[in-house]
Amino acid sequence: MTGPGAPAAAPVSRLSPRVLLIHPIRLLPSLLVPPLLLVFASGFSPSSYIWVVAGVAGTIVVSLVRWAAFTYVVAQERLEIRRGLLSRSVRTIPLERVRGVDVVTPPMHRLLGLAVLKIDTGAGGEEKEEAELDAVTLAEAERLRAALLRRAPQAAVAARGTGATESVIIKVPRRWLVYGPLSGAYLYAPFAVVGGAIGLVFQWGDNLGFGRDAALGVWRWLWDRPQLLLIVAVVLVIAMPFAGGAMYAVFTWDFTLRRRDGHLVAERGLITRRSVSLESARVRGYEIVDGLAERWAGVCRAWAIVTGLGDSRTRGQLLPDVPRKVAVELLADAVGPYTGPLVAHPSAARQRRLFRAVAPWVAFALAAAVLRPPYWGVAVAPALVLAGAGIPLGLDRYRSLGHGYDGVRLTVRSGSLRRAQAVVERRAVVGWRIRQTWFQRRAGVYTVVVGVGAGEGGYSAVDVSAEQTIGFPRAVTPEWLAPFLEDG
Amino acid sequence: MSRLREPAHRVSPRARGLWLLQSLSGFAVLAAGSFLAGRWVGGSRWSWVPPWFQDAWWLLPALVVAIGLPLCAIGPFVRYAVHRWELSGDVVYARSGFVTREWVFVPVSRIQTVDKTQGWFERLLNLATLQIRTASHAGSSTIVGLDYEVAAALAEQLARRAEELRDDAT
Repeated sequence: MTGPGAPAAAPVSRLSPRVLLIHPIRLLPSLLVPPLLLVFASGFSPSSYIWVVAGVAGTIVVSLVRWAAFTYVVAQERLEIRRGLLSRSVRTIPLERVRGVDVVTPPMHRLLGLAVLKIDTGAGGEEKEEAELDAVTLAEAERLRAALLRRAPQAAVAARGTGATESVIIKVPRRWLVYGPLSGAYLYAPFAVVGGAIGLVFQWGDNLGFGRDAALGVWRWLWDRPQLLLIVAVVLVIAMPFAGGAMYAVFTWDFTLRRRDGHLVAERGLITRRSVSLESARVRGYEIVDGLAERWAGVCRAWAIVTGLGDSRTRGQLLPDVPRKVAVELLADAVGPYTGPLVAHPSAARQRRLFRAVAPWVAFALAAAVLRPPYWGVAVAPALVLAGAGIPLGLDRYRSLGHGYDGVRLTVRSGSLRRAQAVVERRAVVGWRIRQTWFQRRAGVYTVVVGVGAGEGGYSAVDVSAEQTIGFPRAVTPEWLAPFLEDG
Repeated sequence: MSRLREPAHRVSPRARGLWLLQSLSGFAVLAAGSFLAGRWVGGSRWSWVPPWFQDAWWLLPALVVAIGLPLCAIGPFVRYAVHRWELSGDVVYARSGFVTREWVFVPVSRIQTVDKTQGWFERLLNLATLQIRTASHAGSSTIVGLDYEVAAALAEQLARRAEELRDDAT
């Protein structure tokens, strides 16, 4: 990379020519489907094959032109991407604006030793937040990543003695992939597969040689044999954790978290390998998430709370499901520990959690019993069961509530089916919002929202007492509330 | 035990007029909509509509008027009592709400932009809304119903002070 003040004649680069083996294959469907339909429609007349050949040739030409017209250069503290032959576009990204660089290697790219570089600029404006270089060689990807992320703040980090080093924080052992199904992610997978297959049959069945009449016939045949339908349903439900677990394994295979040049780098994936760099200086905290089943198994997941990170749900993941003890230690090492206590919320909060978990179902059951619409018994029974389940759920929601401050970081926690605890540095706090609904006024509790210039923007301490409502913000940022307090 | 005092300044008294105009225009749409919907469903002779409703479809718009009009009438006065603001010790403190109350604290050092906006009704009444934005929506404040001159002066003061205090932790 040329430094500042160097002559502007930096080498202009093109994408790796090897992408010419990938792009035509990707373009093929869009350019080949119309001619193929023509072949079918014309009853396989010889002339229609010419169009197919033209389609194939077209994809190759388009790919070649695109490749030739796409250039990029890193010079004078900025990245310039030029593309287009007829309509030209130049995109200039100042390096100081680059928030992160992701290296993604889908399967075909991997075979050819290529990678897609995604550059997050956190621009947020009208432009797309990401610039994409699809694709460069792995060596070029590494060079670019280093070049794009090396700038002033990094020099300071290097001076502290962590620069230019790389250390593995954790390589998640494969045996921990068994925790995957507990997270509830991808559980719908079997239904999505079956639904997709049915959709395909109806869309393309005619072309594949069997009409939709045949498909409907199969459906009717199944409908007359309910026991078979039931078996299919049971098989699908049993398949849920396995298929979900398999998907989880594919996406989080060999999850590795590294520290490299002032960045946290998370790498994962079996087929498509994805590597995300988060600048440590922009990480303001983390969020620990665990559902009911995960708490039972003692595992949790974690995301980073980062300023100016687009799409932080998929990109900010710091840890997949790992044992809780390991997670807490690693997060303390990678970002920073929370050492304070988690203060419980008042008993009014427990009553409100219980009421909200039980009352809607009871009200529904009562309404059904009074109005007696047809089949009302069918509606009442499950509603009462859910109301009963609401009691432990409400109690657990109350147990989850908590907040605290240890002098450096504050924390808030809530949720039951999906419990989330946010840990945020004090300096990331940009304001406070205290809210009280009409129902909360009756119960004498408040919701305190910490305004944070990172992550989701606000993290709530739900149903705190009047004393805690003032005490919590005052403990974290005493000078902000002081002018507005009076003794009473 | 210490507690929060209320912010020092009320918004402009003309804000009551603003809220009244806003709620009345919203109410007019709702009342007309419920009247049309009631007449349509009531006169349709659909099988799922209970017979008593077909005879008394006017109950729907009547209910909307009975609930909506008192809310429209008291809303502006409650809001005027609740909505208050203050700038002290380089922190903006604002209270707002009608059914749900909100207290917002925004330190001037974290302010990114200060916008003053004027809607239709606000121009009519020479009022303005001040939007004080930080990097987080939860840490941003909106003060409605300020006198235009007050809003302009406050926006100017906040913008200048924010420039002096700018701190880049976020």
